[in-house]
Amino acid sequence: MHSHVPLARRNMLADPRRLIAGAVTVGLAIMLILLLDGLWTGIKRSVTAYEDHVGADLYVAQSGTRNFFGAVSQIPRSTVDVIRLESGVNWASPVRTFLAIISLHDQKVPASIIGWEPGEHGGPWEISQGRAPESDNEIAIGRVMADRHRLRIGDSLDVMGQTFQIVGTSSDTFMLSFVFMTHAATDSILDSKNTTSFVLVGTDRADQVRTQLESGGLTVRNRDELATQDLAVMTRAYKIPMGVMRGVAFAIGILVIALCVYTAIMDRSREYGIIKAMGATRRDLVSLALRQTFIVASAGFIAGSMLFTVGRAVISSIRPQFSVVLTTDTVTRAIIAAVLMALVAAALPANRLARIEPATAYRGG
Amino acid sequence: MGRISIARKNLFQDRRRATLSIAGVSAALVLILVLDGIFAGAMQQVTAYIRSSPADVFVAQRDVTTMHMTTSALAPSLVDEVRAIDGVDWADGLHYTTSSVDVGNNSLLTYVLGYDTATGRGGPRNLASGQPPTDGQALVDSVAAGELGVDIGDKVNILGYPFVISGLSTDGTYIANTTVFITSDDFAALRGPTYAYILVGAQVGMSPEDLQQRLAIAMPDTTVMTRTEFAKQEANVVRTMAADVMAIMSVIGFLIALALVGLTLFTATVAKQREYGIIKAIGAGRGRLTIIVLAQATWTIILALALAIILTSLIGVAIDALTPNLIVVIELGSIARTTISAFVVGAISSVLPLRRISRIDPSTSFRMA
Repeated sequence: MHSHVPLARRNMLADPRRLIAGAVTVGLAIMLILLLDGLWTGIKRSVTAYEDHVGADLYVAQSGTRNFFGAVSQIPRSTVDVIRLESGVNWASPVRTFLAIISLHDQKVPASIIGWEPGEHGGPWEISQGRAPESDNEIAIGRVMADRHRLRIGDSLDVMGQTFQIVGTSSDTFMLSFVFMTHAATDSILDSKNTTSFVLVGTDRADQVRTQLESGGLTVRNRDELATQDLAVMTRAYKIPMGVMRGVAFAIGILVIALCVYTAIMDRSREYGIIKAMGATRRDLVSLALRQTFIVASAGFIAGSMLFTVGRAVISSIRPQFSVVLTTDTVTRAIIAAVLMALVAAALPANRLARIEPATAYRGG
Repeated sequence: MGRISIARKNLFQDRRRATLSIAGVSAALVLILVLDGIFAGAMQQVTAYIRSSPADVFVAQRDVTTMHMTTSALAPSLVDEVRAIDGVDWADGLHYTTSSVDVGNNSLLTYVLGYDTATGRGGPRNLASGQPPTDGQALVDSVAAGELGVDIGDKVNILGYPFVISGLSTDGTYIANTTVFITSDDFAALRGPTYAYILVGAQVGMSPEDLQQRLAIAMPDTTVMTRTEFAKQEANVVRTMAADVMAIMSVIGFLIALALVGLTLFTATVAKQREYGIIKAIGAGRGRLTIIVLAQATWTIILALALAIILTSLIGVAIDALTPNLIVVIELGSIARTTISAFVVGAISSVLPLRRISRIDPSTSFRMA
């Protein structure tokens, strides 16, 4: 007769409260890893929000401009007319963009100002409430900005010394809201008539039109090039801090799993002495340690997934400007992290198991 | 009769378990200290140019109170207007925009400052090497130069045009971008004559605050700030933008610490149930037992904190070596906040073990194992 006794499972379940506490702690570490990954995916998507929604195939900008987010580009307004005459161009629209800090309730609120020609491309692609601006003293602000600072349609807002009336709410980007206004309003704010930042171009023959425009001396980018640069800026700023936090979360997971399993083994050292006395090999004991660490890691992963769901809901409700996106890659990475945690954490308990003296079984209590 | 530190002996009887627990709590505190340190470092770097400026007062476009993420436009003629105001010793216009500095396919986001090299007041305070720029030349921050793989004499593209590096400046690169300096004439040729800011020096005997008030009255369509106020506003923007992320990560860090300390104390309590039974049997009251548990929490927190500070310092050194644009500054305030919060966490996590101990039957001590 050959029967198995699930030692690993029974050992870990012998004290369910300890397993739960360990699972919760590992779960918090897994949650942190999932949140960081999800935040990063959300950052990547929201940084390129404008380029993703505005529908332009090409962007004409000042020489040296490589990104859109936070770019300071200035070209003659007349460039639009030149571009419209090119064959293959379906439409061309001027857009001015710059970052600004708006004072609200004694806070400094960053915003991405977009000035466009009403009726043309480049303006708000969605309006949640109200309408898009039509005159030079009207603006549409991001939903998150409106909610967070309790701004309503009809309220006034000062932007760089000029007062505007809020007529609608629209979209947001990473860590700041879009503020849409007419191009003429931005001319006035910057005291820079006859200039614009970008000319957005719609065409069915992007490569050909780009070649034509560049041969005329213009600097042309497409959506992917702008998005790549925007992401590069974000990567440079956030890569190391996020990497450090992921690393620390990973270390926490390993330590907690090791602590849980090690404690469970020490509590049952007599029983393990008996097993050794009965002929269990080193391999059996290492396998036992591994199974226990995987039990804790699995429980931790389940707890972490539940905690992540709660955490994401909390973050979305109190800070909707942070988008936490769960993808298959995110989940896969978290599973790999949990498996690696279990493997590394098994080292100490396995070592301890291997050193338990069979004579332990015969010692008095 | 000698005293026995039951708390310490209980906690450290199994050194490996104690090490795992303390290391785990320490890792949770490292999370918070490193974040705080990165943030403090960024705040230092982001305000370095303003804090080190010789200007007592900064004039900007109306409602503009920062440099970061800001556009400001002032007519060049305003500089002469400022110079004519009583109390002003000197005034220099400063061009400013955000762009990128490019070498081949490598690109860094940068502030571009165009300044009057004759006075040098708008330029960097320190040069690591080389000379201030003349037309066609630029000062690049030494950290950025290292990242881009360039040195004095090499060419970089700024605002889409090639410039030769004349010197390397310092303290101009931080987490998100770097700073390059070109001549005022070059900037005006590329981006127009409009200034972003006017730097103003006060005459001897005139305080920055008094000068600020005088200029604000004389130029009501602008924003006038002292250097201190300008730096504070700049720091506030960065603080506001980072505050939410910091708060989320800090809460998670403290939750992890709470769970870990609780797990440590609970495990130690369960392992010593018989011993606690004996202590109760020989007359230890609730108060005494509470002290024992709290003492274990305190030992765990103190050791974890000490280890966390050491680890954070080491991580800071590693980060500095790997990415010079990022510095980790461990401030006393951060340590104090983390210490207080950690002890609160320790107190909260003692509740469950205390309840467990209070329910232990003293007769447990007489049961056979």
